[in-house]
Parts: sequence; C-alpha cells; structure tokens
Amino acid sequence: MTPQQAARRHKHLVVRDYLAELIATELEVGDAVPSERALTERFDVSRMTVRQALDALVAEGTLVREQGRGTFVAPRHADFEMRLTTFGEEARRRGLEPGAEVLEATTGPASPRVARGLDLDVGAPVHHVARLRTADDTPMSIESSWIPAHLAPGLLTDGVPDSLYAVLRALDLAPTWGEDTLQAADATPDEARLLGMTTQRAVMRTQRRSYAGQTAVMYTQSTFRGDRYSVFVPLREARPMLVPRPARTAPPVPEVLTPTPEGAS
Amino acid sequence: MSTSDQERAAAILAALGGVDNIVEIDPCTTRLRALVTDPAVVDAAALKAAGAYGVTSHGRVVQVVVGPEVDTIASALDDLM
Repeated sequence: MTPQQAARRHKHLVVRDYLAELIATELEVGDAVPSERALTERFDVSRMTVRQALDALVAEGTLVREQGRGTFVAPRHADFEMRLTTFGEEARRRGLEPGAEVLEATTGPASPRVARGLDLDVGAPVHHVARLRTADDTPMSIESSWIPAHLAPGLLTDGVPDSLYAVLRALDLAPTWGEDTLQAADATPDEARLLGMTTQRAVMRTQRRSYAGQTAVMYTQSTFRGDRYSVFVPLREARPMLVPRPARTAPPVPEVLTPTPEGAS
Repeated sequence: MSTSDQERAAAILAALGGVDNIVEIDPCTTRLRALVTDPAVVDAAALKAAGAYGVTSHGRVVQVVVGPEVDTIASALDDLM
C-alpha cells in the first residue's frame, strides 16, 4: 500500500491491519503485541486511534486483554468441520487433546423436544449424558446427548463411556447421516461459568439429529464458545431444481408469493 | 434405482398433493424443499408414512427430511414429474 492509499483509509484500520499481519506472521499465541505508545509513535496517530484498532481485534477474539498486564495474542480458533464425527476425533485431528467432564448422566422420559429429535413418543425412556468438552484442558463446549434407551440398554451401567459413538458403533448403530441446526446466542450465566468465559458472551448453539440408516440414534444439543470455535462447512453446487414438465402442468394461477425462509439442509 | 426408491418418490409426490400441486422441488443434501400451489392438500402424516424423518411447513413451502437418499429420490421424482 502506498502512503497516499494509506492516508485515504481510516487510520485505525491501518493500525489494525498492521497488527493482524504481525499476529499472522510473527507472533505466537500468548505473545504481547506492541504497546499502545509504540503504536502511536510508529503510525503517528492518537492513542484513541490505537485503542480503536486494539478493541476491534479484542472484540473479534484475535487478541485478549489482561487487566494490568497488557494485550496478548489469543488462542487460535479451532475450525471444527460440521460432519458426523465426535468432538474427540475432531480435536485430535487438529492436534488438540480432547477431554470431558461429565455433568449429568441419567435415564428418564423423553421431553417433547427430545422425542421429536429421536422420532420417539414423548416419555419414552432415553439416556441423557451432559458433558463439558475440553481441548488441551481449555473448556470448548457443553454437550448434551440423548440416546433411545431401547437401542443401548446398558449404556450407563458401568458409568459414562468415554465415547458414545464408540458404543453406537459397537452396536452396529454408527451414525451415517444427520442434520445440524445452528444459532448464535449469548451464554447463560451458568454456561459462561462452565465454559470459563470472562469478557465475551457469544456462543453458538447447535442441535444435531444423528441417524444410523433409518434409525434416529442420537439427539445432541451443544453450546460452543464463540471465542474459541469456528465452524468449517464444505459447500457444493446446488442440485438443479425439479419442476413439473410443461405439458403436464395446469395453467399457472396468479397468486402472491409468501416469503420462503431458508431452513437447515 | 430400486423399486422402493420409486415407490417412496411416488408416495412423497402423492402426499404433496400430486404433480399438479408442485411448483418446484429443491433437492438439498438431506431434504426436499417443495413449493406447492395449495399447502392445504399436503398430507404430513402420509409424508411420514412414506419415510420422511421430519416435515416442516411455512406458507407454501414444505420441507421433507428424507436423508442421504435424496439423490435417488430426486431422480425418481424427476421421472414422475
């Protein structure tokens, strides 16, 4: 960028781009970024401009501010792919050591929502396991899973198994397809405490229905930390739309279209 | 394509009110999203009976969760339409 080009841009964006480049190329996680004073001198801008740049990088989770100590490079986001693997598998493939703390493990009647997710009647017995998932000992998500009790009667007999998927695979019920629904949300106070979130409150909630062929085997609700987690979604070209052949269609009826919301696919 | 795929596609099409009720069907990764002329004639119970894992409607758009067989069902639907 030439000085003329740079001058045309907002000054705080110049500082921000400089820091982002520095973080991407030279600094490691936990390193301190240059001081506010060094930045004001380097770019000949006000301290307010430097703070604006730093605030933006803190807000997006690239930097983390520690009271009285300074501003540091935040841990990288883990870019988990939305696919039918377990948290543990996804973490290991990224060089992270997965861990789990069991919060709840019970067998009881399915709520209407869980029943719908598992194609069961309301009240049918289901196993429920809630766990805090960690990667390299850092809390990453709270995961609540329900499995129809009749599919895996002894699931919780000897405590909570390390991997629910492993149990399903052993029962020849390995999930083969599913659907995830994602929403952005603010963490509840309990969630923020469990996840060790201090400054940021943004989380991503997901609901997953997992099927083994035609059988709904697991319904999972997860809450992921917004400051540690990125979602990676492979995309492909949409399939062609299916339309009735003209010869067989009735003449179009003039009608006002209602809005068609996007759903999960 | 197996007979069951064709039968399933035919049952789904019938439950959506038949070809005359279809404006278009958008095959997604696990769902068929149908824009229909008259949502009142769509039979959600019949869609479930035809093997749908879930049915959601909004206005004239009916989403039918069919799972990964969406490709073969879409091909069969194309033949029937």
